[in-house]
Amino acid sequence: MPSAGGFALQDVAVSFRGVAALSGVTLAVESGESLAVIGASGAGKTTLFRVLTRGVALTGGKVTVGGRDLYNLSKKELKAVRRTVGSIYQAYNLVPQLPVGVNAALGEVGEMGVLGTLRTFLTGPDPALSSRVTKALARVGLEEKVRARTIDLSGGQQQRVAVARLLVQRPNLVLADEPFAAVDPVTTERVFEALLELNREGAALLVNLHDVELARRFPRLVALRKGRVVFDGSPEQLSEEALHDIYAGDDPYKEVAHPEPVDKRPTQPISLAEGRDGVSSH
Amino acid sequence: MASPLTKTGRPRIGGAIPRFSWGPALVVLVILGLTGWSAWGTEFDLVELFSSTGPIERFISGMFPPDLSIRTLQTTARGIMETFQMSFLGALIGAVVAFPLAALGTAEVSTAGASRGERVLKAVPYHLSRFVLNVFRSVPDILWALVFVVALGLGPFPGTLALAVHSAGVLGKLLSETLEAVPSRPVEALRATGASGLQAFLFGRLPQAMSGFTSLTLYQWECNIRSATILGFVGAGGIGQQILISMNLFDYPKVATLVGATIIVVLIVDRFSAAVRGKLVY
Repeated sequence: MPSAGGFALQDVAVSFRGVAALSGVTLAVESGESLAVIGASGAGKTTLFRVLTRGVALTGGKVTVGGRDLYNLSKKELKAVRRTVGSIYQAYNLVPQLPVGVNAALGEVGEMGVLGTLRTFLTGPDPALSSRVTKALARVGLEEKVRARTIDLSGGQQQRVAVARLLVQRPNLVLADEPFAAVDPVTTERVFEALLELNREGAALLVNLHDVELARRFPRLVALRKGRVVFDGSPEQLSEEALHDIYAGDDPYKEVAHPEPVDKRPTQPISLAEGRDGVSSH
Repeated sequence: MASPLTKTGRPRIGGAIPRFSWGPALVVLVILGLTGWSAWGTEFDLVELFSSTGPIERFISGMFPPDLSIRTLQTTARGIMETFQMSFLGALIGAVVAFPLAALGTAEVSTAGASRGERVLKAVPYHLSRFVLNVFRSVPDILWALVFVVALGLGPFPGTLALAVHSAGVLGKLLSETLEAVPSRPVEALRATGASGLQAFLFGRLPQAMSGFTSLTLYQWECNIRSATILGFVGAGGIGQQILISMNLFDYPKVATLVGATIIVVLIVDRFSAAVRGKLVY
């Protein structure tokens, strides 16, 4: 049974309007483990992440997070599990109109009661939380921006605020959904280091990546293709042929709303040096 | 290889007006038919309008010169002030009433994994508040004014209540749509970290919708000041009551002063409101 930050998926299936996004996904991750998830656009990587916070309905299978059956929890229990899961996204998903400090403080939102919520809403975070927010922002080099409106920050700075929110939350499981796709190489390294630090502090780390070279820096790689796990192993085990199979038929100009076979063209071999989708040069 | 466009020799891109097809042609025919039918039903006759200009000329010439006596100006100022007060209070009360109803009438982002009972429990306040807002909005303010005049007697108070109820309906509907239309990813991100519905609303939806709500309330105030001028026709206070009395007494110079003052005030409020709305930061 997975411990605090670990999770397990057993034969998980998710469909959107009858179209399979995940099929028969079985995956187990231990607490403190770190792994990268790779796969073409539409392979089901984001759906996999949404499953881990019960963000989508299952059509089959079982999801266990921290040893608890996620899809059979009461509302209160679900909130408790979600508090232990921190997420960071390609599009940052911060509230643009709020000050940077409040966005970072929202890492703690699940811990606030009704009164605490209203107090934070009206007068801002309490002194203890404010102090943690300041420290978290200092760790990402944004302490002077604590009162700035989030929308006024650059993309890279917003991603650092998202990291600060994670630092405030102190989750047992970190889900990073293509966190480097919209930031510059310097921010990529900075965010990457912060995520690894959270991992070193004990959180399980799951990073969804388009950049295969970056993914190879993780001790474990999981590859999805058409909603199925097609590779699960160390970077050394990932051969050129396996990589080709993972991305075979991937047309970056074609919108793939589902992982079903949509491209009947003969596939061309993809060279590693060319990258996968134009973002691998970070 | 020749592209499909050059194969025919003459590329046909087409202009801004769509090329003939039966669907749009049928729509145009239906619109023309409805126009003729409505003109026939309302006895719409431009010839009659322009051939019998005598009464209109008499009415307009009777308005000049406008009555600018101290007594009329005092009456006008009182009427204008009352109209302004009715419109302002109507919009404010309307906004206060609309806010909680709109919050309840905003659909949840995701109910993935929620039980049937939980979904029903969420749907009840949603549909109830939407129903109340629809009733408030679908009854025109002048009908609400008639209802309140019958219940409370003549004067500006029933007029203010009429504006408040109608404003609540309009603002509630528009605000709930604004709340639903804000980018949902920041809200989903908060829910994924264990935020409750209230917390996701306060920190996710509301900050994103706040400037829109302020803008809508100002616009509703503009509408109210126009509406408040005619509520007096059914005895619900404001400058409309003075206009009706003067019309009934054939005191057209006074009507000119009252109408002129109304136009000036409406224009001032419109400009002020538009200027403030233009400065709102989204």
